[in-house]
Amino acid sequence: MISLKDVTKEYRLGKSVINALRGIDLEINEGEFISLCGPSGSGKSTLLNLIGCLDFPTSGKIMVMDKDVSELSDAVLSRLRNNTIGFIFQMFNLIPVLTAYENTEYPLLILGMNRKERQARVSRMLDEVGLSKFIKHKPDELSGGQRQRVAIARALVTNPKIVLADEPTANLDSQTGIEILELMKMMNEEHKTTFIFSTHDQKVVRYAKKVYNITDGRINS
Amino acid sequence: MKTILLSLRNIFRNKRRTAITFMAIISGMTGIIVFGGFVKFTYQGLRESTIRTQLGHVQIYKKGYSEKGVANPNKYLINNPEAVEKALSVIPDIKMVSSRLTFSGLISTGEKTLTCKGIGIAVEKEGEMSDFETIVEGGQLEPDMPDGGVVGIELMKALGAKVGDYLTILTTTTEGAINALDFKVVGVAQTGSQDYDSVFVKLPIKLVQRVLDTDSAEKIIVLLNDTDNIGRVSLVLEDIIKKNGFNLEYKLWSDLAIFYNKVVQLYNGIFGVIKIIIGVIVLFSIANTMNMSVFERVREIGTLRAIGTTRAGIMRLFISEGILVGIIGGLFGIAAGILIAYIINLSGGIYIPPPPNMNKGYIALILIVPEVILYAFVSTVIVSALSSIYPAYKASKLKVVEALGHV
Ligand SMILES: Nc1ncnc2c1ncn2[C@@H]1O[C@H](COP(=O)(O)OP(=O)(O)OP(=O)(O)O)[C@@H](O)[C@H]1O
Ligand SMILES: [Mg+2]
Repeated sequence: MISLKDVTKEYRLGKSVINALRGIDLEINEGEFISLCGPSGSGKSTLLNLIGCLDFPTSGKIMVMDKDVSELSDAVLSRLRNNTIGFIFQMFNLIPVLTAYENTEYPLLILGMNRKERQARVSRMLDEVGLSKFIKHKPDELSGGQRQRVAIARALVTNPKIVLADEPTANLDSQTGIEILELMKMMNEEHKTTFIFSTHDQKVVRYAKKVYNITDGRINS
Repeated sequence: MKTILLSLRNIFRNKRRTAITFMAIISGMTGIIVFGGFVKFTYQGLRESTIRTQLGHVQIYKKGYSEKGVANPNKYLINNPEAVEKALSVIPDIKMVSSRLTFSGLISTGEKTLTCKGIGIAVEKEGEMSDFETIVEGGQLEPDMPDGGVVGIELMKALGAKVGDYLTILTTTTEGAINALDFKVVGVAQTGSQDYDSVFVKLPIKLVQRVLDTDSAEKIIVLLNDTDNIGRVSLVLEDIIKKNGFNLEYKLWSDLAIFYNKVVQLYNGIFGVIKIIIGVIVLFSIANTMNMSVFERVREIGTLRAIGTTRAGIMRLFISEGILVGIIGGLFGIAAGILIAYIINLSGGIYIPPPPNMNKGYIALILIVPEVILYAFVSTVIVSALSSIYPAYKASKLKVVEALGHV
């Protein structure tokens, strides 16, 4: 489904070059539930951003749905992010002026789905994440855990192939973090959606069916 | 749909900043609406007063008068003015047709002699056209005063004469012989133009025709019921001149109103500059707000991009925000502009001091001019859209990862 071949990523800060990723080879398949584990600065976010088509590698090849990412236009990449990839962020990243319902609905609006189907999907999704009572709430009227549930609903509402979650529990207390992971796991089993989440928390790693350890820009399996 | 919803929510997100932007738009539009209404009022007032007190809507002359008549007016007189007046009187839009005959000469009290410009009018017809003269002493010329005359105030002062005095005018007939007439000063008038006040003597046309030894007129003044009908009337007029074989030419008021045309030019120039200044202020004000709003929402832009919004979609989002600000602010601006105009009018208008070379000011009211309002609204929306282009472009060019990392 997604494959990375000898992918590197360099950041240039003035004269110094930071090798954030140094030759990553990776194969991600349908229905996986993967944890990307490593210390701070090891390259987890960088890797997830590349997989999510938010950034481009310095060298190497990334194939998403059998397409070479480097050859795609902004419009095609945007569409890919819209309907094939879902994102969950550490800081939740909800749109503050939109309600829980509207936040969840937004990717479907971009997709251009008709009203009836949209309503059905958004309601079902918010129901699944346990927020059917909070659909009219704005993000600042929700707790951290509730916000992340909205983010999960938003990530999954388009029925993506893969959801990328960069430290989804880092801004939550451990109990809430566990609930969020349970929810993600449930979604993974129910929808067969692939999940990749990064973390440096060993308690969180336990939930993964597959763990990739990353240090210093390399995966050591 | 989603774009408009999001734009609208974002506009009212930072209420204070939006209020400041709206204030800029509202002040700008009020300025344009009020100044535009004032200008329109001035044009209209000046136009009507120029026409109704001085020029008439149309002036008819003997053919060749405009080109050569100034140097030699006696050669270019209309020799059958009554016939022409009669032919014209069938046109329904015409309110009045009246002949005039002017001359230059010397005016004397017996002790003092000065140059003067005599103007002979049909007293019984031109009552309304004397409105621009203020009688400061005595009375206006009436039809039952065959040897009466009204004299300009400055000329009167220079002569040292008073109402009731008989004055003598010396001039030449159309044949070149010297002739004189006596008239009784019935009134002293002030017109607004000091130059004019120091030379003019208004007399019944019959008296002037007698001293010039002619039955002719120099020009025939035509006044319409409504200035807007002038196009139609000039066509009919052309027709009548041709059909009757009159050897005449004519000019419309707009060709004669030098002062009016200059005022229009001047005010249009000023108005143009004001519009540009206001436009620039509003432009920068909105652009500034937009820039701040883009800066504050960098992470949000990153998020929108991550969930599938294209660069073009981000552009659309911010430009539609600009346009919406323009539309909403513009509607407020229209309301404010009309309100201020009403307040000014209800409080008695604005006193405008006399222009150079004039001695009468006037009270200006603010007209509500639909074209000006439409103009102000449309340009506000355009300016708002323009001022959001650059911020929108910047927002669309943000790198997704960097935007997401922004705090
Ligand atoms: N935009 C950037 N410019 C320069 N260097 C960067 C940038 N982003 C990341 N880096 C560097 O690249 C390396 C990998 O960073 P990355 O954010 O991928 O690590 P991480 O594993 O996600 O760390 P954390 O657990 O702290 O989130 C780090 O050394 C980091 O300093
Ligand atoms: Mg990270």
